[in-house]
Amino acid sequence: MATYIVTSDRLIWKRGTVLDATDLGDVNIDGLIDGGHISTHSVKKPAKTKTNETED
Amino acid sequence: MATSVYLSNPNVTINSVSLQDQCTSATVNYVYEQLETTAFGDTARKFGGSTVTSLQNNSIEVELYQSYAGSETEATIYGLVGIQTTLIVAPASGVVGATNPFYTLVGAYLESHTPINASLGELSTVTLTFTGGVLTKTTS
Repeated sequence: MATYIVTSDRLIWKRGTVLDATDLGDVNIDGLIDGGHISTHSVKKPAKTKTNETED
Repeated sequence: MATSVYLSNPNVTINSVSLQDQCTSATVNYVYEQLETTAFGDTARKFGGSTVTSLQNNSIEVELYQSYAGSETEATIYGLVGIQTTLIVAPASGVVGATNPFYTLVGAYLESHTPINASLGELSTVTLTFTGGVLTKTTS
């Protein structure tokens, strides 16, 4: 599911809050993006760490 | 004793964006279309009835100061023309309650907008009329 980050101070959510479509309900998401109130938010996957397991 | 309402700090939210500080006027019209149910034998015209439910025909009209700054009036409104959105209007900015009911219009359509409405020496304003949608009143 797409997530969005709040980028203005005019929403009921504080700036920086991450929302998904469920949180936004009946709100027109494109309108909020066009207005600069939210922007799409991509979650970075954590880098894979190599495990140095040795077999006995 | 009768009481009157002095609106100084109403809550106006358009598409979840609070434009309270740009708004100077808000009117919520709650309408059910009038259907005539007069029949033979009646001596006066009748409209509606306990078993007749007509369509809502609601609208909200707001007047806003125009601003082209980021996240302000123009940025918020321009993208809403021709689509449906949700508006919330309340008499005051406090929490919802019996004395501060929230009127929510879901699925309201904005047909037109006036991006430039400027006169020399005056603050630019825009008047918007959102029509259609289902109006609900929340008191808790």
